[in-house]
Amino acid sequence: MIELDDFSYAYPTGSRPALRSLRLAVPAGQLCGVVGPSGAGKSTFAHALAGFIPHALGGETAGRVVVGGRTVADTPLPDLVRDVGLVLQNPFNQISGVKFTVREELAFGLENLGVPQEEMVRRVDAVLAELRIEGLADRSPYQLSGGQQQLVALGSVLVMRPSVLVLDEPTSQLDPVGSGQVFDAVRALHRAGVTIVLVEHKLERLAEIADRVLVLRHGEVALDGPPATVLADPRLADWGVAGTRYTAAARLARERGLWPEDRDLPVTLDAAVAGFRAVTGGVESR
Amino acid sequence: MTVGFYQHRESSVHRLNPLTKLTLAVAVVIAAFAVPLTWWPAALFLVVLVPAVLAARVPARFAALTVKFVGPLLVAVFLVQGLFFPGEGAELARLGPISVKAEGLAFAAQTATRLLVLIGAFLFLLLTTHPGVLMNAMVQRGLPPNISYVVSATLQIVPAFRERAQHILRAQQARGMATGGGLRRRIGVLLPLIGPLALGALTEVEERAVAMEARAFGATGRRTSLMPVPDTTAQRLARWGLAAFAAATIVANALGVFA
Amino acid sequence: MIRIDSLVYRYPTGVTALDGVSLRVEPGERVALIGRNGAGKTTLARHLNGILRPTAGSVHVDGWDTAEHTVAELAAKVGYLFQNPDEQLFARTVAEEVAFGPRNLGYPGDRRARLVRRALEDTRLTGLEEVHPYQLSLAERKRVALAAVLAMDTPILVLDEPTTGADHAGVRDVAAAVSELAGRGRTVLAVTHDMDFCAENFDRIVVLAGGRIVRDGSPDEVFRAGADLAQAGVEPPQLMRLSEALGWSRPATTVDAFVDRLASR
Ligand SMILES: Nc1ncnc2c1ncn2[C@@H]1O[C@H](COP(=O)(O)OP(=O)(O)OP(=O)(O)O)[C@@H](O)[C@H]1O
Ligand SMILES: Nc1ncnc2c1ncn2[C@@H]1O[C@H](COP(=O)(O)OP(=O)(O)OP(=O)(O)O)[C@@H](O)[C@H]1O
Ligand SMILES: [Mg+2]
Ligand SMILES: [Mg+2]
Repeated sequence: MIELDDFSYAYPTGSRPALRSLRLAVPAGQLCGVVGPSGAGKSTFAHALAGFIPHALGGETAGRVVVGGRTVADTPLPDLVRDVGLVLQNPFNQISGVKFTVREELAFGLENLGVPQEEMVRRVDAVLAELRIEGLADRSPYQLSGGQQQLVALGSVLVMRPSVLVLDEPTSQLDPVGSGQVFDAVRALHRAGVTIVLVEHKLERLAEIADRVLVLRHGEVALDGPPATVLADPRLADWGVAGTRYTAAARLARERGLWPEDRDLPVTLDAAVAGFRAVTGGVESR
Repeated sequence: MTVGFYQHRESSVHRLNPLTKLTLAVAVVIAAFAVPLTWWPAALFLVVLVPAVLAARVPARFAALTVKFVGPLLVAVFLVQGLFFPGEGAELARLGPISVKAEGLAFAAQTATRLLVLIGAFLFLLLTTHPGVLMNAMVQRGLPPNISYVVSATLQIVPAFRERAQHILRAQQARGMATGGGLRRRIGVLLPLIGPLALGALTEVEERAVAMEARAFGATGRRTSLMPVPDTTAQRLARWGLAAFAAATIVANALGVFA
Repeated sequence: MIRIDSLVYRYPTGVTALDGVSLRVEPGERVALIGRNGAGKTTLARHLNGILRPTAGSVHVDGWDTAEHTVAELAAKVGYLFQNPDEQLFARTVAEEVAFGPRNLGYPGDRRARLVRRALEDTRLTGLEEVHPYQLSLAERKRVALAAVLAMDTPILVLDEPTTGADHAGVRDVAAAVSELAGRGRTVLAVTHDMDFCAENFDRIVVLAGGRIVRDGSPDEVFRAGADLAQAGVEPPQLMRLSEALGWSRPATTVDAFVDRLASR
């Protein structure tokens, strides 16, 4: 579905490339997590998938990005956004500024796509319910808390039902319960067959839903594989990525001889519970 | 970004189709400039704009903004036109090389009231019309969305800058920069604002353009609307009437009716 | 020291964001403010440096009533990190941005230079002094914003989501700064959604829900509130959930404590 073919990119004012010779493919329907330290190029990567690089941001590119069989650089942005949805890292910038209420803000993209009115109302209501922001429907999108605004920004893209969804830290300002709801929504989309690229720092949640995790570092892929392997990699901390507390606890336990050398380190709560039960001789030991 | 000068009220004027208000504003301005009678622009202002603003329940804001925008212009017009009017005419008073002539004053009054109508008409439109609704109405009439956006964004530029300026000012105060006080102080405060303002506003505009695109803003083809802007036959007729009225003033002037 | 008495705040739109909040925070205390999106955390934080004024009730910082002082005056007492860095940054370079506060506060040149250098080091921005903030990634911009607040060297710091989007090193920087500041007797109030960060670095946690304080205590006490907690939009940190799932009677909040307890079984 998504293919990067030796793709590099430098910002117009950047002194060094933000993305370097990326080669990778995300098959249709995959949920691909992206992690990495600040400045690694995660947001730049997201912009490149959605076509904002090169169409909107200028700068220099080499190689190509192909999404849904179309070369991004050769496809006009309006055609691309019918298939690819991008949720920006800073929700404040996603608000259109031309709508008076959250409800209208959510409908903005659908209006542009010419979706019939009844269908539009149905979809907007569904997103309001899914993200539990019905109570905000008639508020101005500017008179919201940061987290509320982030939910609106996310909803404004979800409502367009793109077949490829690129999410740049969509839960960074959400409370734990709200984050959980967003992860549930993402999981549901994944089940429905949407191809998803999810930049995220909440590794313990990412581990539960991702098929695969990429670690970006200095604009390059430093690691790529299933979450259980990638997120337990001992090099993550050196690269500026905090593993989960579950992994950290198991690693420390192993150093102190409390966790068998040959047992994988857990990255999710379930795996940690099973693992620690086993080492303490609990019921689940095998 | 903000929603501009827009003041939300429950009023029949607010419920009008934005195009009707736009037509009204443009027609009144054309009429004010087409007819060379001294009392005419003032009459338009009092008979058309003032009642419209009262009906829209925004008189206080309208008055405040009108004074703010027209005030300095009025002073300039009277100084230049009133005191230095070059034409012939009876001299009312003289002060060295400066002579105050009746014609000069009349001309100044006319220019000033025309400006009053110009600014008043657009303030009326902006105060009672949400820029998004105006944009919607224009798109519905088949205007390309980009043009509609430019129009509605232009209407918002001043408030957007004002908003950004407020943000910056607040951020600067939060780090100990004192404001207020005398004029020099105020100018001193504004200077550090200018750079960040231009830059911040530009970056913001760029990011927002990206965000708009992400929501298919540039898509071609038919558009729909969640809340179609209501229009009525009466309003459609009124718009034609207003256009005819504006055209009539131009024609009448060309034919020398007012000469 | 922070003293908030029966604070009520209503936005001009009619939303009551704070509905009778009373809170005292002593010098040297590290307090985390948590709660659901829209609970009123930012609204509360903005009262501490006078950006917002109480609709009713009062706010005192270091003995000053915020109602009687301008934001600029209050800046000498309270350093405030905005939730959205793009609302806070305005200068052309990182160095200018960080030097802005100490300059306005009238610190002598050598102290100023020292504070700026220290703040840049503590946020790992050394080397980026001449970069334009808008050429940095969002989390890097948040770091610049944090450096700008640290450099003001105020007795009270109010940090609105200091670790949002931060990587491992970024979170560690904030944690180190918070503990160092508290060690020097500064008052630190941080708004956060990161439960692990909060359990590991704060002595006291205040939970806000619907504009009221519903819980106030040590991480241990607050996170054992169970169902209440979910109602307030928050959940226990990872290790507490793990220890609970393992059926431990006394849950651990940090990795070290967890492994110690594991060893003692
Ligand atoms: N507009 C820009 N102009 C120039 N350089 C930029 C611009 N935006 C980002 N950069 C640089 O490109 C690199 C990658 O930035 P990017 O925003 O992709 O990082 P990120 O991985 O998303 O980080 P974060 O976790 O902080 O969001 C960084 O070194 C950053 O300084
Ligand atoms: N400028 C504003 N005008 C009107 N209402 C506002 C404004 N800003 C916030 N609110 C409302 O006030 C309430 C409290 O908002 P606040 O920003 O304090 O929440 P918060 O706890 O900081 O949330 P978050 O975790 O999402 O940042 C919310 O209901 C919000 O919608
Ligand atoms: Mg980023
Ligand atoms: Mg907040």
